[in-house]
Amino acid sequence: MNIHELPMIVFTVLAQMSVGAFVVLGVVQVFASRRYGREAVDRVTDPALYAIGPTLVLGLIASMFHMNDVMNTLNVVRHVQTSWLSREIVSGVAFAGLGFLFALAQWFRWGSTRLRQILAAVTAVTGLVLVLSMSMIYYSLPTVPAWHTWATPAQFYVTTFLLGSLAVGAAFMGTVLWRRRAAARSGSSYEADAPTRELLSTTLRGVGVAAVALLGVEFLIIPLHLTGLSAAGGVAAESAAVFSGGWFVARLVLVFLGAGLLSVFLVRRATPGSRVVPLAVLSATALVLVLGGELIGRSLFYDSMIRIGM
Amino acid sequence: MTTQATERPRGLERRSFLKWSAAAGGTAALAGAATRFGVLPGVGPANAATASTSGADKVVWSSCNVNCGSRCPLRMEVSDGRIVRVLPDNTGDDELGTQQIRACVRGRSIRHRIYNPDRLKTPLRRAPGTRRGAGEWEEITWEEAYDEIASTIRRLIKDYGNESIYLNYGTGTLGGTITRSWPPIETPVARLMNCVGGYLNHYGDYSSAQIAGAVGYHYGGWIGSNSLDDAKNAQLQVLFGNNTLETRMSGGGETFVTQQTKKLHNVRTIVVDPRYSDTALGLADEWVALRPGTDAALVAGLAHVMVSEDLQDQKFLDTYCVGFDEDHMPDGVPAGSSYRSYILGEGPDGTAKTPEWAARITGVPASTIVRLGREIGRARPVHITQGWGPQRHANGENQARAIFTLAALTGSVGVPGGGTGEREGAFSLPMANPFATENPVTTAISVFGWTDAIERGPELTALADGVRGKDRLDVPIKMVWQYAGNALTNQHGDINRTVKLLEDDTKCELIVVIDNQMTVSARYADILLPDVSNAEQLDIIQQGSAGNLGYTIVADKVIEPLYDCRTVYEMMTEIARRLGVEKEFTEGRTQEDWVRAVVDASRETIPDLPSFEELREMGVWKVRAPTDSGNVALADFRADPKANPLATPSGKIEIFSKQLWELSRTWELPEGDRITALPEHLDTWEGAVEARSNRKYPLQVIGHHFKQRTHSSYGNVDWMKEAHPQVVWINPGDAAARGIENDDVVQVFNDRGRIQLPARVTARIAPGVLSVPQGAWYTPDGKGVDVGGSVNSLTSWHPSPIAKGNAQHTTLAQVEKA
Amino acid sequence: MAQQLGFHFDQTLCNGCKACSVACKDKNDLPVGVTWRRVAEYTGGTWQRDGDTFVPNVFSYYTSMACNHCENPICVEVCPTTAMHVGEDGIVTVDEDRCVGCRYCEWACPYSAPQFNPETGHMSKCDMCADYRAEGEDPACVAACPSRALDWGPIDELRARHGDLAAVEPLPDPSITRPRLVITPHRDAQPTGAGAGAVVNPEEL
Repeated sequence: MNIHELPMIVFTVLAQMSVGAFVVLGVVQVFASRRYGREAVDRVTDPALYAIGPTLVLGLIASMFHMNDVMNTLNVVRHVQTSWLSREIVSGVAFAGLGFLFALAQWFRWGSTRLRQILAAVTAVTGLVLVLSMSMIYYSLPTVPAWHTWATPAQFYVTTFLLGSLAVGAAFMGTVLWRRRAAARSGSSYEADAPTRELLSTTLRGVGVAAVALLGVEFLIIPLHLTGLSAAGGVAAESAAVFSGGWFVARLVLVFLGAGLLSVFLVRRATPGSRVVPLAVLSATALVLVLGGELIGRSLFYDSMIRIGM
Repeated sequence: MTTQATERPRGLERRSFLKWSAAAGGTAALAGAATRFGVLPGVGPANAATASTSGADKVVWSSCNVNCGSRCPLRMEVSDGRIVRVLPDNTGDDELGTQQIRACVRGRSIRHRIYNPDRLKTPLRRAPGTRRGAGEWEEITWEEAYDEIASTIRRLIKDYGNESIYLNYGTGTLGGTITRSWPPIETPVARLMNCVGGYLNHYGDYSSAQIAGAVGYHYGGWIGSNSLDDAKNAQLQVLFGNNTLETRMSGGGETFVTQQTKKLHNVRTIVVDPRYSDTALGLADEWVALRPGTDAALVAGLAHVMVSEDLQDQKFLDTYCVGFDEDHMPDGVPAGSSYRSYILGEGPDGTAKTPEWAARITGVPASTIVRLGREIGRARPVHITQGWGPQRHANGENQARAIFTLAALTGSVGVPGGGTGEREGAFSLPMANPFATENPVTTAISVFGWTDAIERGPELTALADGVRGKDRLDVPIKMVWQYAGNALTNQHGDINRTVKLLEDDTKCELIVVIDNQMTVSARYADILLPDVSNAEQLDIIQQGSAGNLGYTIVADKVIEPLYDCRTVYEMMTEIARRLGVEKEFTEGRTQEDWVRAVVDASRETIPDLPSFEELREMGVWKVRAPTDSGNVALADFRADPKANPLATPSGKIEIFSKQLWELSRTWELPEGDRITALPEHLDTWEGAVEARSNRKYPLQVIGHHFKQRTHSSYGNVDWMKEAHPQVVWINPGDAAARGIENDDVVQVFNDRGRIQLPARVTARIAPGVLSVPQGAWYTPDGKGVDVGGSVNSLTSWHPSPIAKGNAQHTTLAQVEKA
Repeated sequence: MAQQLGFHFDQTLCNGCKACSVACKDKNDLPVGVTWRRVAEYTGGTWQRDGDTFVPNVFSYYTSMACNHCENPICVEVCPTTAMHVGEDGIVTVDEDRCVGCRYCEWACPYSAPQFNPETGHMSKCDMCADYRAEGEDPACVAACPSRALDWGPIDELRARHGDLAAVEPLPDPSITRPRLVITPHRDAQPTGAGAGAVVNPEEL
């Protein structure tokens, strides 16, 4: 693992997961509200929404460790004219701010639903801009062949939606479990109503399908990226050598297990009548495996920083 | 080691590079030159230099005085009594003869040498009851140190005589006059010892033992070749293992001289070396890669081509040499003893030294040898020089003489653009040295023989061990002085064996080390005296080798002595007082008085030399050679060999040396070692031929001089270790066979030791050869592995046959991944 | 516009001694690990073996490199804080009061010019010895070079005198940052991208 770039590994992966989760939640809202009613949907999605905040904050805290003089941190927004790093910070802060605002609005039910939807949409777009800025930090360096390729934004967005989807699935099941446990502690019992169960199973199936599809995309990007690097020769070929060995295999295996095998299970097992605990375990395990795989992948991404020149 | 007029190996007939008196109007010419060049544009007091950028209080002239053959002035910025910056020479220009003497990377890092964490701070004594080298010390006062040394000297002289006290070779401070550590006779330690009856001498030096031991038989004494700027007058330049761009890196010395001469005149240049050295990289039109220690075989192959095609300068050989052919042989030697007979296979060995014969030994293809033989044979004149790598072998004396012989075959001796085949000479100022004294003791051992003299002193004889002045040593060495040197351990052969010898304090009873860093040798002292650095005292510095530039430097006291350090002059004065010879030692003078005395005495031979006060202000004073080039060796001999004979028995160049022929029949040599009257190629122990049949240790190890250090000086400076890390060079083929990749940590080992360091896998070194840059600091770990990577953990005590010198490039080893 | 300054490097004279590098470190008191002027050794070649003999076909040369004060300084472009900025004379410097030590410029610069200094937490780099130049002195590296391989001055003048070659291995394509650098090439200099050899001392850069 690339300990040296750990702050960036943690920050980029967590921030992308947050953006992905926010966007996926929006999609769930848009599609599910019509069928199951806003109340049911909000009950399921709000806890997941509130979980995004801490995740993003954790990522942002991690990113601070990348600065070697935090006293000057505020200067990093000075150069939005040309620096993608400045743009990343600006869009990152904007996404965090808007997301926080939206979460507050949801919590206190401020404003009209329409207004909140617009706010959510703006937040989601800001998040997607954040991921774009992140990838452009690397893509825009002609001096680092392994980064200066379409594969960088492509991979970043795949990570965003893959982790986002799985995180949403896991958060939904976690919410259900937590409510059951809370009810049990107070001597009652919690059973989700039919629409909620329907919503849950549909979402999980959707998450599973999305994960398998994104896995397919990722498993296309990786070989294309590597053959491209090898074909380019020189420094590019040198950096391709990073994508081999134990860590690389571990990364592929973890993602394949989480986004492939377990997600297929998820698609097949998730029905309104299925038991909650196995589904929760399944979705949480898938998330953990893929998160591990993506963190390793990001570590390798930083390892592939071999610069041209001297 | 330097080879210039002012610093030649001693014990040989001294010749002047520049026959000042003979040169028509020599002093007048010099006077004119000095008026034109002595005061150069930009020369002025260093204090006038800008010092405002660093807020420095003052800028003071100093210098770098290590043993690289160059000698560089430095300007030091001082702020609050501390050196804050080091600046280069700012006098002169970029022209040969008036150049700025820009210090190399080492000198530029001197601040981290002066303020090094390894600086010795206070006198130390080995803690009683602890093993030598264990690093257990007790701090003592200067008075205690002086008393103990003086009483030991007194006791040893009474019990064993003066020959039991030895001044070990050391070149850590060179060029200085009062502070110099070499040659031993000119050191302040020698001056002290000479006041009380003298000490055991040594002859030769670790840099050039074999060539210095051979040159007397060949030329009658140390001559030096033509200067490197004189290559402009050549049709062809051939450098045998001469690596100015790495060993003499001064931007006022031979790096600058060779580069500019090549740039201005573009004379075709051939470099013969097992390494694609930086000299080959920078200057060579052709690189001839050969196996280490096979130069004499290559020369024989070249000579075969020249003789077969009648390309040798027969007229020159007939007039100026003996021993080339059967018509020019000394009396009383058997027929077939000439070099020509040796080459054509008409001598005792019956083998013709054909290009094919030479190819098998050297690795150089026969076709290349034929082409080179023709090229060298047809070019006139040929500027041939050798560095001191070829001679640092078990057959080093013959290696050196073979290259001299090639110069004679081309008839290039004594003419502009030619040379003697020795290392380059140079123009230099004939500075006086009134501080030097004579040693009442005449007995001498080889510079490399002191370990034997400790181990089994009275067994050493003239015939078996090269003892001079006596048939046999009377006493072993009981005390060693090591002033500013690392030959006590790090620079000697077979460090592990040397260290074992030193650990036995019943043999050598007292080792006194004077140094300013905790060197490897300092670890093995009984008493350790902390010297000041050259920036903490005043001295006048003799120049380095610089083509046609002569100069001298007054290096002032830049800062006060650090810690509790003292000057060597003060140390010796105090010990002299305790031995009752203070007056004789000081002659009533302070160190500054002596520096003034040097300037005053030198002004008698160099009338234009400014006064001490002026020199102190100027820092460096420069004179361009009054002649076309810096040095043309043996021009007088070439002009009139009868009137100006050499100091050889025949008065001529002795390709066949009858003196050596006598030695070959009388000296007692170890099994397999040989002395030959001709410069024959010899297959030796651990030589190039043995390497190819030695299954256990098939690789030849050489130790090239390295940019990080001058020998071991600067080897503990962080900036230098970062700039030039210690790595072993290995050919890609040899590396692949052992699964070694660039930057892998490897171990190089033989029966004598094992070192660990990173590998530099590079096509810049010949197959079958490893080069471990010499001078790294021996650092044994708990398992006996030298993780400092000192090549001398692998080298041997086995001396060369004639000079009894250090054959450190004759070493076989194996390498494996660590 | 003030005259734009640059370096000239005569590769034919460089013996890789690093006096330039250490003179710079001495002047600026740089710790180990922070080296504003670095020297690369680019080496390649092969050996042909035939029985007992061998023939080398080897080339090697050095490249001394500080900051080229580029016309399109990528370090300035990517710096998020504007600490990395260009002066009137084209000299690129770091404003330590603004630098956050994110090391993005280190990734970007193909010459390793910006160097991270752990002692300050900021980037640091060559400013062509602005203080010395202000006093009419040469930059430390130029004054130090024993071989006289380094020179500096208005880049237009340097190019008029020495041509405009900068595309020599191991240097990158000059079109990326447009360095104000002119090289007089070593006899074996390889064009950028030829890739016949390799930098053998990467740990020293």
